[in-house]
Amino acid sequence: MRRIAVSGLGVVSPFGTGVKAYWNGLSAGACAIRPVTLIETEGFRCRIAAEVPDGFGGSLRRSRADRLALAAAREALEDAGLSRVERAEAALAVGAVGGGMLEAEAWYWERFRGRRPPSRPTPRSMLPFSHAEALGNALGLEGPRETLVMACSSGAASLALAADLIADGVVATALAGGVDALTRICFMGFNALKLLCPEPCRPFDRDRRGMSIGEGAAFVVLEELGRARARGARIYATLAGHGMTTDAYHVTSPHPEGEGMVRAMAAALESGRIAPAAVGYVNAHGTATPQNDRIEARAIHEVFAPGRLLVSSTKSMIGHTMAAAGALEAVATILALVHEVVPPTANLETPDPDVAFDCVPRVAREAAVEYAISNSFGFGGQNVTLLFGRA
Amino acid sequence: MARVAVTGVGVVTGAVTGGREQIRAFLASSGAPALSVPSSALGGLIDETEARRLSRICQLSVAAARIALADAGLGPGAGLGLVIGAEFGDLRSTIAFVDGYLHRGPGGLSALLFPNTVMNTMAAATAIAVTARELSLTLNAPTVAGELAIARAAAAVRAGRADAVLAGGVDEFDSALAELLAEGGAPSERRGEGAGFVLLESLDTAEARGARVLGEIAGVAWRALRARPYGVGRGAASRAVAAALDEAGATSGEVGRVWVSASGDGPRDRWEQAILEEALRPARPPQTALASRAGRHAGLGALAVAAAALDEVSRGPAVVHAIARGGTHVALVVRSVHNG
Amino acid sequence: MDPKEVLDELKTILVSRLKFEPRRAADMTLETTLPKGVEGSIGLDSLDFIELSIAIEERFGILMDESQDLTKHFLSFDTLAHFITARTEAG
Repeated sequence: MRRIAVSGLGVVSPFGTGVKAYWNGLSAGACAIRPVTLIETEGFRCRIAAEVPDGFGGSLRRSRADRLALAAAREALEDAGLSRVERAEAALAVGAVGGGMLEAEAWYWERFRGRRPPSRPTPRSMLPFSHAEALGNALGLEGPRETLVMACSSGAASLALAADLIADGVVATALAGGVDALTRICFMGFNALKLLCPEPCRPFDRDRRGMSIGEGAAFVVLEELGRARARGARIYATLAGHGMTTDAYHVTSPHPEGEGMVRAMAAALESGRIAPAAVGYVNAHGTATPQNDRIEARAIHEVFAPGRLLVSSTKSMIGHTMAAAGALEAVATILALVHEVVPPTANLETPDPDVAFDCVPRVAREAAVEYAISNSFGFGGQNVTLLFGRA
Repeated sequence: MARVAVTGVGVVTGAVTGGREQIRAFLASSGAPALSVPSSALGGLIDETEARRLSRICQLSVAAARIALADAGLGPGAGLGLVIGAEFGDLRSTIAFVDGYLHRGPGGLSALLFPNTVMNTMAAATAIAVTARELSLTLNAPTVAGELAIARAAAAVRAGRADAVLAGGVDEFDSALAELLAEGGAPSERRGEGAGFVLLESLDTAEARGARVLGEIAGVAWRALRARPYGVGRGAASRAVAAALDEAGATSGEVGRVWVSASGDGPRDRWEQAILEEALRPARPPQTALASRAGRHAGLGALAVAAAALDEVSRGPAVVHAIARGGTHVALVVRSVHNG
Repeated sequence: MDPKEVLDELKTILVSRLKFEPRRAADMTLETTLPKGVEGSIGLDSLDFIELSIAIEERFGILMDESQDLTKHFLSFDTLAHFITARTEAG
């Protein structure tokens, strides 16, 4: 069984460009959820989101999402120090949902109003696969290429599938991650479903009222552990296992007992041959909807005994970054192992008494953790749990 | 390493709807091209209560999945995984969703349409309909999504990560969409619509339950050739075809037929020919382009794999091949039970 | 508006937004129950109810306060019609 090392990280988040800015924000428990500037929000109950600040570069002929992805992917590849030949053979797995929809929407809006639509970017870059095409071309990646669309668990699924390619001996290295830019469809849709909180979300709080939306991109470089060691690569953590299950229950509501969530977490532990007691930290899906947090907490409880387990939600700080979430939160989990500091759950004033765990309210916690998991439980019941081990 | 058996197939397309018997008849005939799925094709496959809540593309997907399971002699929920490829997803619902807002403001937004704006809606609906609770993936790619999904699923079965997987793809297409895409710069080609799935299981499992095996997926590979986004590359050196043949233990000289993804996009079709010539030379096996009868869509991958397995005429393993603008490249080697 | 008029509006919403067949909607009466799980109901689930709420807010100009539990109002067309009539008179 080949063991997988994480040898490169790249992030563009609502805290700014780069892994450093990301960790600074996370460890400080800062909240990047603010009034929306990228799109019109008049008439909607929720008008806030966690937007990525300027500074991630890229040609404006490209979609915003392509530019986010490129910046994060570049950082990861440079961090890992892969050669041109290694890049040419590396697999590429991208979790995406919105694609270049932000620009396609702008085009369509202008067309609807009888005005001349902008000439660049065009709707051609609208579909989710556009990022993989852009990255593959700009970064010289010619190995197996896939775009996974799995709603909120896309970014995590891409890491799992890339790990499988390495474990199967198909490739030696892989670049895997996820990206999503804010879109009108996403923002309006979640508003219409009344799932958004008018104020920054408060996961696991007794008085939580819904999600906040965010945007960003994160990529990691994965390679076989022995190979990473042999070439003297920096090893951040191991991707020790993963579990992927489907609720097959309802198109938007999760299974009421979190049955698919439990199976995903159990499968991740089993694939890594790790006992629940060895896990010190759970980076929760933690969207702050009354339903998700209650069901997820219950599912976590079924797999793990409370004990000294720490649970926190990164979405409290950067919002729900959709297809990027699984990847951004995987990086947060990895950084927690590296720095021996567990990022907090921001905005958590009154912990929900029904949640049996220490949810690290508002202030980061020093903790040397051996194994940590990251949960992504997507719309439509697509559950992914990633298991990371200290390097 | 398990051997990957194809034990069922189901397609809902303009040209043919049904399982292996209907596909056999289709292959033996030579009807006119049919690009759109008639509404009658779904008769009996989706009940009224379901139909209310399923968008058309989801209905196509659920219908084809049901046919494939019945063709395989399997009931729902048998530890089933699902891998669906799509190029466009539910664009029709997405456009209807934004039109609701543009015409009537926030009050015109539809909660029922919103989940369809995410491309995994077909997988979510199909998983519920056939109770598939294992791995459920949606892969998005231009042109090759169906073949890619089947390759991914075959790799999972071979590695023992999945027992039984429904794999294939679905795309919906109409003239309004065609116009919008053309306006946005999409190349012209013969596009159709439809859904197609094959059921993949390990050969051991298939034999143990007495399944009627159609064929075997003996080798798969997917890579990316160098090309600009939406562009056609200049190089034709493919590692995918070689890797797939290698895994299948077959040589280019043994290949009986190549099922190609050509669809009337001139530059891309020529690129495919260059790739195949380089990969298989000096052999020049005969080719079939299913898009000429059914239009190009993500359901064709399953139809091609099934056709390759059902082929009683060609001798030797078949290659199912697909290349997309931008470079995503898939090759599958299929052995028929007849003469693979 | 009297309950019969409200019912007609709700039937229109059921067809246009919840995608019910017109002949099925025509058969519905004030006594028809709505939620899935209630015997003989038209089987609406949570997502259907959200859609229905949005449509009711748009058509009748009332605001649904989702912090309150409105389940009892959505039991049948009768309870729903009364809820809407009370809100439109108050508004």
